[in-house]
Formats: sequence, C-alpha cells, structure tokens
Amino acid sequence: MKTLRCRLLALVAVGVSLGACAGEPTTQLRATTDKIIALLQDPALKTEARNSERRQLIRKELDQRIDWATAARSSLGRHWAKRTRAEQTEFVSLFSRLLEETFIDKFQTYHGELDKFEYLGEKILDEYASVKAQISTKDHIVHPVEYRLQKSGQDWRVYDVLLEGVSLVKNYRDQFDEILAKSSYEKLAADLRAKIPQASP
Amino acid sequence: MKKAYLEFVVGLFLAIGIGCLAWMSIKVARKEFFARKGYQVQAAFSNGSGLRRGTPVVIAGVEIGRVESVGLADYEARVRIVIQQGVVLQGDTIASIKTKGLIGEKYIEFTPGASDKTIKPGGVIRETQPAMDMEALIGKYIQGNLAKPDDKGQPPR
Repeated sequence: MKTLRCRLLALVAVGVSLGACAGEPTTQLRATTDKIIALLQDPALKTEARNSERRQLIRKELDQRIDWATAARSSLGRHWAKRTRAEQTEFVSLFSRLLEETFIDKFQTYHGELDKFEYLGEKILDEYASVKAQISTKDHIVHPVEYRLQKSGQDWRVYDVLLEGVSLVKNYRDQFDEILAKSSYEKLAADLRAKIPQASP
Repeated sequence: MKKAYLEFVVGLFLAIGIGCLAWMSIKVARKEFFARKGYQVQAAFSNGSGLRRGTPVVIAGVEIGRVESVGLADYEARVRIVIQQGVVLQGDTIASIKTKGLIGEKYIEFTPGASDKTIKPGGVIRETQPAMDMEALIGKYIQGNLAKPDDKGQPPR
C-alpha cells in the first residue's frame, strides 16, 4: 500500500520540483508531472461531481507520456512471443487499464503528501534514457526513483519506473511468469479483467 | 630395484597431492587458466555491493555466465559479464542482483524479456535492478517512524 502510494508520487510528482541538468527526457517528464499535479491540486476538480472528469484528464496525460505497449510487452517477457497478435493487443489494453485504474484510484486519495521532488540527472544511451530523481514526503522520508524512457519520434515515453531500486516491469514480469508457469494465458487475462472495474470507461 | 620403485611411488603420491592442492586453489579462487568460451556484455548498477570476479549469472537458476570484472564508472558499478556461447539475451533482459538466502552470497539473475532486438557481444544490458540495501531500508523505516510529526502536527526535534 505504502509502495503504491510512493509509486503514485513517482508518477505524479513535481508540483514543487527542483531542477537539475534538464535534458529533453527530463523536460518532457517534468511537463507531464507538472500537469498531473496541477490537476490533483485544482480545487474545482476535487468535487464529487467532477471526479470522473478529473480521472479522464489524468488518464489523458498518462497516455501521452507512458508507453503502455512497451511496458506491457516487457512485463509479459518471454511469454509475449507465444501469444497471437490478437492476444498481444488485448494484453496491452488490459495491462494499461490495470495500471491506470490502480494509479488513478490512488490519485483520488492524494492529499498533498509530496513535499519536494528533485531531478538528480539523466543518462541517454541511443534511443533510451534514464532519469534519476528523489521524492521527499512531508513526513521527511526520501524515496529514490528512476524513470526509464524510450524515444518515440520526438517524444520520450516512460516504459518502466524503479522505486527504491525495484522495477515495476520486473515486478510484473515475475508475477506474470509465476502465474503462466502454473496456469494459462486465459487464466491470466481473466484475472486481469476481474481486477478492472467494468464501470470505468 | 625395490628402492627405486618405492621412490617412484612416493614421488607419484607427492605429485598427485600437489596437483590436488593446485586444483583446489584454482576452484576456491575461481581462477581460470583458459579464457572462458562466450561473449562479453556490460551492465551498470547503481549499487553493486557483493559483486566480484566469478560471481555467477543465472537464468531460471541455471548458470549461464560469470562476472569478469567490476569497476567504478561515473559513480556506478560497471560490471563486465561473460555469457556462455549460444545464450541469446533480449534487449529488454533485466539484470538484477540477488542474494542466496537472507545473508548468502550475491549472484546476478537475468529475467528474459520480449524485445525483438538482442544484446550483441560487447553490448550493454540497460535494464538493471541494483542490490537491495537492507540497512538503508531498515534505517528509513526507523527514521520514518521517528520523524513523523507529533500529535500536534509539530515536526520532531
């Protein structure tokens, strides 16, 4: 639960960001997180009536910055190639919906825990980049975060986030691998479908 | 004649003993006389504690290579790994530092990915997960508890 909250902050962050050596990946990442934090802090959107609107606005920002297809493919790991094209398309959709729902649910409970978000630096290797940052919460705890991004056209898009050195993709890859070793892809897809609220658009 | 035979047997016994000692020394120190067959890749870890020359690299618990060298580059642990010939690594293979048991020796685990691209000899494994710093985590947990503001909302002194 606490880890999830930190991941939320890692995805959101930046309302009070302190800059350092901002290259293109950092600049683009910062732009997205600035927008999301602004949406979270906007008092007009905090009302129950505009809850759904806020979710959709956050989702739009996440969709622009996160490379769901790469994250989903990498999370499924060696099992990806064994799936049909239709199953792969379905899996990307299920995976992105699962993460969005998980994070957006947490966004609803965000009450300004973030104190400071500092970018520590970035590294670019061909079309890949990593951006290191650290999040300080108001209860004086510092969490190191690392974003992994891939260049797609002019955009740098996030495909993995490491919090306290633990990779989100690795975490899901291990879990999916375990499930697929014991049962089938159909069971995994059914489990994912069950975790996504049907009511959500 | 008998004396010469006895001297030969003693000599042979001594030679076998020295051979065994040499073999054990090589095994314990994990030195190799001949270059290991395979190809080299590199990986950078933000925390490479516990890694050294000879550290095993595994996929699904099966050893597929060993650490060749560990050095510091740009304040990160830059690790050279020799991978067995025939083992193909996808571009998004994740290399993570693990511990055998709770306080056991370190090893590197590769988790195969799904990328169409593969890591070529001399290439870089870009997806790495550093060794977990248990002391820092425990410290953070303790510090976190101590640092929580008191009931009146005042930060701790």
